[in-house]
Amino acid sequence: MAIRHGELRQPELTLIQKIFQINWSMWLLVGLCVGVGLAMQFSAANGSWDPWASRQFSKYAVFAVAMLVLAVTDIRVVLRYAYVVYALNLMLLIFVEVKGAMGGGAMRWISIPFLGTFQPSETMKFVLVLALARYFHKLSYEDVGRVTYLITPALLIAAPMLLVLRQPDLGTAIVIAGGGAVMFILAGVRWWKFALIGGAIVASSPFIWGMLHDYQKRRILVLLNPESDPLNSGYHILQSKIAMGAGGISGRGFTKGSQSHLNFLPEKQTDFIFTMLAEEFGLLGCLVLMGLYLILMYYGFVVALRAKSQFGRLLAMGCMVTFSFYVFINIAMVMGVIPVVGLPLPLVSYGGSALMAVMLGFALIMNVYVHRDIRIGRQGDAGG
Amino acid sequence: MIGPFRRTRRPKPPELYSPRSKPGGDRRPVLNCAPTRTDGTFRRAIETGRSRLLITGAVMSFAFVAVGLRLVDLAAFASPTATSAPMHAETAYRMHTDRATITDRNGVIVATSLTTTSLAARPDRMLDPVDAARKLAQVFPELDPAELTAKLTSGSPFVYIHRKVTPKMEQAVMELGIPGLEFERDETRVYPHGPLMAHVLGFTDVDGRGLAGIEQGMESVLKGSDDPLRLSIDVRFQHAAHQELKKAIDTYSAIGGAALVTDVRTGEILAMVSMPDFDPNHPADSPAVNRFNRATFGTYELGSTFKIFNTAMALDSGVTTLADGYDASEPIRISRFTINDYHAKNRFLTVPEIFIYSSNIGSAKMALDVGPPAQKAFMERLGMLQPIALEIPETGRPQYPDVWAPIYTMTISYGHGLSVTPLHLAEGVGAMLNGGMLMPATLLARDNVPTGRRVVSEQVSYDMRRLMRLNAVYGSGKAAQVNGLMVGGKTGTAEKPGGSKGYNRRSLISSFVAAFPMTDPRYVVYVVLDEPQGTKETYGYATGGWVAAPAAGAIVERIAGIAGIAPIEENAPEIQHAFAIDLPEETKKLASLRQ
Repeated sequence: MAIRHGELRQPELTLIQKIFQINWSMWLLVGLCVGVGLAMQFSAANGSWDPWASRQFSKYAVFAVAMLVLAVTDIRVVLRYAYVVYALNLMLLIFVEVKGAMGGGAMRWISIPFLGTFQPSETMKFVLVLALARYFHKLSYEDVGRVTYLITPALLIAAPMLLVLRQPDLGTAIVIAGGGAVMFILAGVRWWKFALIGGAIVASSPFIWGMLHDYQKRRILVLLNPESDPLNSGYHILQSKIAMGAGGISGRGFTKGSQSHLNFLPEKQTDFIFTMLAEEFGLLGCLVLMGLYLILMYYGFVVALRAKSQFGRLLAMGCMVTFSFYVFINIAMVMGVIPVVGLPLPLVSYGGSALMAVMLGFALIMNVYVHRDIRIGRQGDAGG
Repeated sequence: MIGPFRRTRRPKPPELYSPRSKPGGDRRPVLNCAPTRTDGTFRRAIETGRSRLLITGAVMSFAFVAVGLRLVDLAAFASPTATSAPMHAETAYRMHTDRATITDRNGVIVATSLTTTSLAARPDRMLDPVDAARKLAQVFPELDPAELTAKLTSGSPFVYIHRKVTPKMEQAVMELGIPGLEFERDETRVYPHGPLMAHVLGFTDVDGRGLAGIEQGMESVLKGSDDPLRLSIDVRFQHAAHQELKKAIDTYSAIGGAALVTDVRTGEILAMVSMPDFDPNHPADSPAVNRFNRATFGTYELGSTFKIFNTAMALDSGVTTLADGYDASEPIRISRFTINDYHAKNRFLTVPEIFIYSSNIGSAKMALDVGPPAQKAFMERLGMLQPIALEIPETGRPQYPDVWAPIYTMTISYGHGLSVTPLHLAEGVGAMLNGGMLMPATLLARDNVPTGRRVVSEQVSYDMRRLMRLNAVYGSGKAAQVNGLMVGGKTGTAEKPGGSKGYNRRSLISSFVAAFPMTDPRYVVYVVLDEPQGTKETYGYATGGWVAAPAAGAIVERIAGIAGIAPIEENAPEIQHAFAIDLPEETKKLASLRQ
């Protein structure tokens, strides 16, 4: 019996087997969250599918299929092309930056004919996790302990982060930095190094404060006392809190939120959509959505625990953490716990780029789940 | 358990990474072979990986719980009234200026005076006027050196060079050191809200004299006092009315329009918008026609909204009741006129039906029953025949026939032949709803409410609430409905005079008067559009129900929130009972089909 090398150790799954392995409940949960989003966008448009819900749905339909395709793509292919994808995304970010510099003013998106606009900074959050997972996958435990090996991943994080900060998009920069830091933690970088970096950040904070735009500074200051400036910077948070209070336990009913429908609430279909949910469906509606998020996060965690390869583990956990960052930052923002940084609520807010990015993240988690028992060599070949 | 096939396989290695497989989770054979290295480094790597994963997971769950608790705190324990923001808008305080500040009813400054500097010259004291002109032109690039030279050498002993000089410019001029230049302190009128209240406030000339609006009408008060003048306008109401009217005018390509919000209990005008408008900071930048005040100066035949007055008059005079009716099966022909129904039913109509179908024939017959002298007296009592004594000079004088012939009685019953300003109508509708007292309209905040003048009985006022509510539910005013606010209303669509047959079918005055809540009326909202055009969405119709009612509804919705009028359950039995009006079966059936 001729057995090729590695055949026994490395069960190759057929496409049919992979399809059976897909974590369908996760796929459905993602769809459910998008469904909540469509309902809120419908309501934000005063009970109309136009202009948001219909467009968002068509995008979701495309991405939902793409998600399945990515989930059954061999994980070693994903690993092999991780850097290429990262490089492409970084180039898009640079392109946006250059174009913005020429056009004058902040530019965060690229216009694509017929498809609308694309924000490369959104996908970068997950693509960075992918690149870092690949990098740390090939390092041994001893290597991780050496400082020289941490320079490359630090640069991988710094490049998109600085580009995004220049846009300027503080929220995305935080998610990129946070996601990168968590990848370091997961890879096993020694704690004292984090303490060192943390200390450095605290020490340099006065300089960072100086670099912030006036409006960003104002947002941080207003956070401490939103009532001090109800007409300008405090307005978002204040109206948002009023809407949440008005929603109470069970809400005012679908399409009946006065704050949101009467134009008191800014960005109601994107960043502040959670407030609309709070006003129309109350605490119960919010807890249901947060329950959905919690299950998704738990799934991501379990997938990371079950993955046998370092790459899969890092990738799943990194995507899950990045997704959680979205959720926390957005919800904490609209509740006035942290400054208004402008980050969408994942899967629910209107916006194609963010939807694409988050669904890409979940597709990667699904991919890790499908290939959870595949062992991957340090260079991405078969074998351990 | 282990079958013959399994024997060929290698034993399953200990699971190193995954703690436990889900029961039934794995459908495929596990064939992998884990490395069997168990040296210390490897184990430490695994342990670190696992612990890092768990720590991250734990931190995430903690953050999630924290956010969740905060959410519960905000949603369940914060009462909406407690969190609503206090008004921190700039409030006026006493300060001596030549002209008093004007505020809205909440103390928000809407017009104020700023001290500025003017640069003047006394050419006879100048050493070299030509050189001075050249130097000044360098400081003020907008001044033409040649013109300036001409001014300074004209022989006039005193000339103004520049008004409203900034402190920076003033310093620059001082540094020039030219003798014969003088700085004069004067005041500039500033309207922080720009065009928002253009027609209410009016504007002033460079010398600070009011030329229109409150600035002109209250000239002596503003000049003689340091206390801010408090208007009845609420900037928030004004903003809502301004925005919604603008939207309607843009959507239906109207040449103009007006919107009014009045308090039926006090007669105070809370919002008054006329479009097109102008910026009172720079009145000369807009065409003069923009200064025309459609809300209080323009007089129009306002059409079917007058059926509110006609019906109330008939009920009040006792010639008819809500249970009576008139035959509206045939158009009325009088000499060369024919009175038709727009929504012809060609049958006998009850009084409520005449109102909700807006039957001209029925209204005309009702008015004839009352009679021309009584009708004229009623209109007189309702203030429809005199200009309104408002605090601004732009008040229109109603136009009505010299001889109040029966034909005019008939046309006036449905709002033709008597031209009044939109404010007349809003004031009159307020009187129909507040218990029957005409409260004189005012633009100043009213602390002591006058008793007013009785125009209809309380019972008739109560009936009118029911009729207007009925019309908004079954009739042409559905587009103005806001759930829970008990909106009542009446449409009006009038053809403007002109054209071949005396009236122009294409150019309309389309309006909607809404009032709410009908259980205890507080506000009248009146929206008038001048020559609106139908759109595809309105199937080409430009009548009041299509173009003005949605705008009125939008204003109602927005101001109700500001005024703190909570929605109620409109279908509650006691409200249904209080507002019930018996309608013939056919009307009930048709009601569901009508727009």
